[in-house]
Amino acid sequence: MTTSPPRTPPRPARRRASQGRTALYFLAPALLALVVLRLLPAAMALVSSARHHSLVDGTTTFVGLGNYTDLLSDSQFWQSVRVTLLFSLVINPLQVLIALGLAVLLGRRFAGVRFWRSLVFAPIAVPPAVSAVIWGILYRPEGPLNAILGALGIPPQPFLTSSEQALFALIVLMSWVGVGYWMMFLIAGLQDIPQECYDAAAVDGASAWQRFFHVTLPLLRRPLAFVLVADTVANFLVFAPVQLLTRGGPDGSTNLMMYDVFRRAYSVGDINFAQAEVVVLVAITLAVVVVQFRMMQGKGEE
Amino acid sequence: MKTTNAPVPSTPRRLSALRHMPLVTAVVMGVLFALPLLWVLAGSLRPGDKVLAGLDRVSWHSLIPTDATLHNYVTLFRGDFGRAVLNSIGVAVATVLLGLVLSAMAAFALSVFRFRGRGLVFAVILLSFMIPFDAIAIPLSDIFRDWGLQNTYAGLILPGIGNGLAIFLLRQFFLAIPRELVEAARMDGLSWWGVFTKIYVPLSRPALIGAGLTLFTFQWQSYMWPLLVGTEPDKQLGPIALGTLQGQMVVDYGQVFAAAVVLTVIPLLVLLRLQRYFTQSIAGSGLK
Repeated sequence: MTTSPPRTPPRPARRRASQGRTALYFLAPALLALVVLRLLPAAMALVSSARHHSLVDGTTTFVGLGNYTDLLSDSQFWQSVRVTLLFSLVINPLQVLIALGLAVLLGRRFAGVRFWRSLVFAPIAVPPAVSAVIWGILYRPEGPLNAILGALGIPPQPFLTSSEQALFALIVLMSWVGVGYWMMFLIAGLQDIPQECYDAAAVDGASAWQRFFHVTLPLLRRPLAFVLVADTVANFLVFAPVQLLTRGGPDGSTNLMMYDVFRRAYSVGDINFAQAEVVVLVAITLAVVVVQFRMMQGKGEE
Repeated sequence: MKTTNAPVPSTPRRLSALRHMPLVTAVVMGVLFALPLLWVLAGSLRPGDKVLAGLDRVSWHSLIPTDATLHNYVTLFRGDFGRAVLNSIGVAVATVLLGLVLSAMAAFALSVFRFRGRGLVFAVILLSFMIPFDAIAIPLSDIFRDWGLQNTYAGLILPGIGNGLAIFLLRQFFLAIPRELVEAARMDGLSWWGVFTKIYVPLSRPALIGAGLTLFTFQWQSYMWPLLVGTEPDKQLGPIALGTLQGQMVVDYGQVFAAAVVLTVIPLLVLLRLQRYFTQSIAGSGLK
């Protein structure tokens, strides 16, 4: 490499244009896939949600916001929204707190920590349909959980067959799968905290609790925010365990929105109505994400 | 533990108990999380009629079968399930390969070239990555029905190959490759395709593995999509076949357990073997 000037574009405009064309060749397949497989269906859902397909004469008519106003006056929709909100309000804090606790515990260095971490991490590998089936058997009236309760002298519980317990049974099952995954993000975040921060706090005589609240938590804010948002989005879309285990029941107590959409589209057969609910679900999800990001940023500025 | 009148002798004992606390808690948590899987593994090795038997007395026999047999696995693979697992593997492998080619090419373009419309491209990727796939699965399955992609392998594979996260992961890694390398290669007359395949791809093994894991997990975990698009028995994927097994009138739990083990062990081996790359890739995805 001699002392030739690094950038001497003789005709910058032409070079840029030719780079643009080359870039397009490289980008085209991925862009095509993303537009056709993600954006197009999203746009279709929007269009389709403004239509009504009549089963009587087989015609499709434009109804504008008709499906949405019908949805807002549909008691089952609101019931599904309530179930989804209750589910979110319980499962998200629960999962993030347990994941944080596990990350602090298993992010340390001690003999065999990698092995114990792998055990907590293992349920990640279990596909949702498989975890649903496994826990469906664990929760059976004559299943192992009731056997353990029996050994402890506790009367058998109905779990999935009770409208009071079914949603919480799903929360336990989803947490078993999810917690190890979120823990990995938090461990990665913990390992990025420089040791000097802890050393400085130790010099100042901070107790373990003080170090956790004044060093670890503030420095873990970004990964925590990410985990909280990503976890919330994931939990808005829970589908497999509902479809395989409870079908929304008993008495609609596990009728999470994603399942409600599926039910409307395929059991009830009103696809346009279901699309309107998809749009509402995505809108709620995005709104929650925005609010959570705001809150997280707000806390950081204090 | 508040022995206020004799604090001196109590302190060392308390300290040593505290020192073992993390290990004890770690062991308890690890065992708790692994227990359901161990129980399923044990059940899959029992004769089918004994899987749920004897549960009224929980003992070590619940986890260690004394009469272990591979009978459940043999029966399972004689039925439709073997086909379904092969379908799952084939679909996952095709998704990873195609998805990696697409994502790496896009990431290369986004990290090497300056061109007009870059902002728009980023917006498309970001948007596609913020719209959750399961939410658009129903409208997409409508489109696929119109295009005759129902019950085809293409229909199962395609949704997995456009993955915004994989593109971001690869681009992050590509940006760290020194510019001089590219300029020297161009000076030597290497084409852009050559720069991509001879410099970027070979240098990016860890990032490619991380992105590949993302693509693999997406496909292996999908349930709603194959339910919507792959309903014919010969195109069924593993999770759907498992759902069918447990939804039958008379459920053979031995087979259900064996199927659960097969569908879990495959991704578990992949994840544990590549855990390092997985951690690296999640550490790079939006945290830094």
